[in-house]
Amino acid sequence: MTSKSALLKVILLGDGGVGKSSLMNRYVTNKFDSHLFHTIGVEFLNKELEVDGHHVTLQIWDTAGQERFRSLRTPFYRGSDCCLLTFSVDDGQSFHNLSNWKKEFTYYADVKDPDNFPFVVLGNKLDVPERQVSGEDARQWCRENGGHPYFETSAKDATNVASAFEEAVRRILALDDRADHLIHTNTVDLQRKTPPDPSCC
Amino acid sequence: MAASCSVKVLFEQEGVFRHPSSDEDGIEHDLLISGSLRIVDKDAEIIVEYRPLEDTVDPSNMLCAGKDSSSVMEWDQCSGERSHQLLETQQSYETEWDMVNAVSFKKKTCTNGDSSLNHSHERSRWALAFSVSELRSITVKEEGWTFLTFRLRETSSSLPALHFHQGGSTDFLDNLRRFALLSESPDDDTCLLVSSPNKALSQSFENLLDDNNFGLVQQKFRKDPYVTTLGGFSKVTNYIYDAFRGTEEQHQRPPEEVADVLGEVIPGLEINQQEEPGFEVITRIDLGTRPQVTRREPLSAEDWSKHQDPEGRMTNITHLKQVIFKGGLCHAVRKEAWKFLLGYFPWESTLEERKSLQRAKTDEYFRMKLQWKSVSEEQERRNSKLRDYRSLIEKDVNRTDRTNRFYEGIDNPGLVLLHDILMTYCMYDFDLGYVQGMSDLLSPILYVMENEVDAFWCFVSFMEQMHHNFEEQMQGMKTQLIQLSTLLRLLDLAFWNYLESQDSGYLYFCFRWLLIRFKRELSFQDVLRLWEVMWTGLPCQNFHLLVCCAILDSEKQKIMEENYGFNEILKHINELSMKLDIEEILQKAEGICLQIKSCKDLPQSISAILGFDTEVSGSAPTDYESAPALRPPPRADACSNGHLRETSSHNSCKVAFIS
Repeated sequence: MTSKSALLKVILLGDGGVGKSSLMNRYVTNKFDSHLFHTIGVEFLNKELEVDGHHVTLQIWDTAGQERFRSLRTPFYRGSDCCLLTFSVDDGQSFHNLSNWKKEFTYYADVKDPDNFPFVVLGNKLDVPERQVSGEDARQWCRENGGHPYFETSAKDATNVASAFEEAVRRILALDDRADHLIHTNTVDLQRKTPPDPSCC
Repeated sequence: MAASCSVKVLFEQEGVFRHPSSDEDGIEHDLLISGSLRIVDKDAEIIVEYRPLEDTVDPSNMLCAGKDSSSVMEWDQCSGERSHQLLETQQSYETEWDMVNAVSFKKKTCTNGDSSLNHSHERSRWALAFSVSELRSITVKEEGWTFLTFRLRETSSSLPALHFHQGGSTDFLDNLRRFALLSESPDDDTCLLVSSPNKALSQSFENLLDDNNFGLVQQKFRKDPYVTTLGGFSKVTNYIYDAFRGTEEQHQRPPEEVADVLGEVIPGLEINQQEEPGFEVITRIDLGTRPQVTRREPLSAEDWSKHQDPEGRMTNITHLKQVIFKGGLCHAVRKEAWKFLLGYFPWESTLEERKSLQRAKTDEYFRMKLQWKSVSEEQERRNSKLRDYRSLIEKDVNRTDRTNRFYEGIDNPGLVLLHDILMTYCMYDFDLGYVQGMSDLLSPILYVMENEVDAFWCFVSFMEQMHHNFEEQMQGMKTQLIQLSTLLRLLDLAFWNYLESQDSGYLYFCFRWLLIRFKRELSFQDVLRLWEVMWTGLPCQNFHLLVCCAILDSEKQKIMEENYGFNEILKHINELSMKLDIEEILQKAEGICLQIKSCKDLPQSISAILGFDTEVSGSAPTDYESAPALRPPPRADACSNGHLRETSSHNSCKVAFIS
């Protein structure tokens, strides 16, 4: 079971400039560059990690956040195992847009069971002193919108970034376990993506 | 030529394999037959034929098999008056095919020495041929590659499966659709039922969008037509090809109808309805060898001033542009020359005229700047569009070329100018506003101009060229991707087929290149060089698409050898950023342009993209060679390096543009 790790696809969504690429880069390369270019098009990075004894490869997809580019980012939503809804705590508008992002993802990812799909909410830029969104407001939104886990992160200071991605992995695996138990109870099958589900295409 | 002996090749795909061991008993395990699949029009009957190309190969030799087959495939020109030959006898290597535009081909005799005789019988044993009218159904299955199984009307058993190791099955089916109606079987979505031929006209666009994932694509299409918009991107290009290709009117949709159908699916797409005279098999166009071109030194300040008359008019502009195209500009000349290249200054204007132009443009600029400067916080609260533009501009200015000395550090005046020009541009074109990518386009211009007003108007000129890339529906991007696909298909069908087989035929991975003209792919200095070269408008229209082709030409070998899937191709192309050599690319792109330009019987679609004059060169004889054969990908079990395969299969979803 340790020979091959499962490939999990997660996607970072949120308004332009909330720090999606910075979160990905902090997590994968442990670097931060406040002057990093804004993303044009779509990029992804892979990261191998172990969560609760499970070896997984996280494939993190990063997209351009501006509305205009919707038509070219949404095709990449399909096949996602988890969606990281991202806003910036110093930008109230980006928080208000969370529900739009969730809607857009659910629609284009063609999620079969949206109520149980794992979303994780990230309030980034914790390092910035001028907050526009309180932790309480964010947590309340998460409670009211399906009980999503919430993390306040700083890609700049590396605060909570790893925890947020690891939580995403836990949520995916937990969902898988439940699905597995319905079918067969005694195997731990980490090669969940082979063979690929033909319906994902 | 007499009608009784006309045999036209309408479609050909090499690298199609038979796996006899799974079809028949008593065959050596793992025996694979490599061959080509054709659709031919023989005396107005449409025939599908499969012929083994050469000696049977065992899997251990498969990697070289593709290369070997290309050496067998030499085409000779000959007159079209050879005697009529039966299909069976065509399996000797003396076959010829007549092309409609009076150029015909003869395959050279296979000269594999002693083996050829013994194997000719062997080969014919694996050949297949049937008329499309006999065809009952086609089953489409995937096994790392696509394989098709044909069933005929008269028999209950099916013909041996044909395996498309080098892609092209979609292309084959699309071509077949010109002669038969293929519809999905209600109880098996991998099975296509074939109805009587010549009813292709009634087929719906849904069929054209189909790929190997028949049911799903259609389902999605019904559910939400917008979602599928360009899901069949490459299928669309195929269809455009078909529209340009055919002479047989009775098998073709009228071009207006094609345009209508495409227009429904791609709103706003303009389709060139001009019909190509004469039959063309694009896959067989010989581009000839690519000429070697050399680059020259950049134009010096001295040379620039030599091109000015005493009153400041630029002279000998054609030559000047040619020099700039071949070598670019010395940095000292850029500040002045770019204004001409971009069209801010007219070439024939005098110094005096330019001064008064600049005065007028300065007034106009500051009037527009004042407009957004004088919007109060109160007003902005009620203007969500302006608020959004401002907020994104502020964010992006802080993330544009910050390592460049002109924009580095905090409170750098370059940042303020970048911001102010972009805000003023929102006032200049409020409908477009600010779209991400524009700051990338402005930054080099401002860097060169070192002047707010001049930079603004040069940016306005550049945006006139680039506007369509940023519009609401991204129409410009879609059109360019289709055009690029068309060019790539002409230049290298094997590579195009490979991309197609990896769901990458619509070239999404070139998006960033096209959106901001390679700004993120090259070093800052190289961007300046590339842009000034492109702004000359030489050597053809849409030269930037040939720049794409040049880069892809250098990467295709790696992409195919490593058997990259959808994700890996995207990653590989993204990671080329800052690793490209601009002079090498420009050299190659110019070579490609000359190569295409010198090609006779160029498809009209290509001439239209590159803006070539469409003089029909008649029936001048040309030596045709076979397209380079593609190496078959390694077999599935040989590729067990866990992650790569898993990655590619995991995300092998069809990616489409959504409007």
